[in-house]
Amino acid sequence: MSEELIPGVKQLIIDALRIEGMKPEEIDTDAPLFGEGLGLDSIDALQLVVAMEKEYGVVVPDAATGTIVFASVRSMAAHIAENRT
Amino acid sequence: MEFPELPARGHGFEEIARLCAVATGFDPLQPEEPGASQLLRSVRLQLCGVAMSLFHLNKLKHTEKRPDVVTEHSMGIYAALVACGSLGDGAVLELASRIGTCVARLGEKCDYAFGSIVGLTETPLASIARNNSACIVNHNTSRHFLLCGRRESIDCAAKEAVSAGAFSANAFPCDAPLHTPLIESIAGDLEHIIRDYEYFPPRIPLVDHLAQRQLTAADIPQFLMEDLCSPVYWEKTYQSLRKMGTTTFVEVGFGQALSKFNRWIDSES
Repeated sequence: MSEELIPGVKQLIIDALRIEGMKPEEIDTDAPLFGEGLGLDSIDALQLVVAMEKEYGVVVPDAATGTIVFASVRSMAAHIAENRT
Repeated sequence: MEFPELPARGHGFEEIARLCAVATGFDPLQPEEPGASQLLRSVRLQLCGVAMSLFHLNKLKHTEKRPDVVTEHSMGIYAALVACGSLGDGAVLELASRIGTCVARLGEKCDYAFGSIVGLTETPLASIARNNSACIVNHNTSRHFLLCGRRESIDCAAKEAVSAGAFSANAFPCDAPLHTPLIESIAGDLEHIIRDYEYFPPRIPLVDHLAQRQLTAADIPQFLMEDLCSPVYWEKTYQSLRKMGTTTFVEVGFGQALSKFNRWIDSES
């Protein structure tokens, strides 16, 4: 189930963070999104929280949950699959 | 806080570092060398930031992109003064060093901290700040704020912010209550430093973050003083520049924080 969401999650990241010149297939599904990998930070995190809620109706209530959810594209997809209404 | 990674040698940073060493006695290329400078570590960190901004500004000058307008956020005032032609590189590095050293004296009497609060809107956060004798010192977006105050006040405010639904609240120490009225206690010393420099008329319009007005050379000393004692109103400034017709923003400095704040503001408009 969550595997099917992976391309959409990658596109959501690109759109929400306005990453120019990047295609979804260039984002590693299992790479860390914060620090290494895409090098995202707390400002990006809130932007992703809002985008996920808008697109999938899924809430990430706080940074502690965000650390788990935003570990990678795969973990984002898994969180959406488990929580979306 | 660690010293930032500086540009690789051979890219022009050496010239800025040399200027910094001449103006302040501190060489950003040797930030941790024992005995290399009498300056406090916090001031050396600030100078690394200013030097990096000047380095990026110099790179920009070598392109065809001449800005139509310059604005600034907090420590960005130093590079902004150079960008608009009001002060030279050496003078702003010296000014940053002297102001940084002066305000750091406040930290000898009390432990201060910043609190980065993400996710709450201004109204509940203002209430939390009041409850804990803290000040909102950066209004970056509708949901990104920075608090400043005594260390214990900020720790309490951060906890209260999380309880009130903040996405994140992180406290980190600082050596002075920058952008708060507490700076007024050393206003005389700061004014003496600020008035030591001759500010040339901006060749490119310099827009301040307090009232979003275009500063003249005569306005700059007073603005520098008010800037240290007042919050930074980034969201208002960005929106004002947008209304003025600015379409492209180039961030000069470390990281991409302002660009990300702008992205957030755009997403709400």
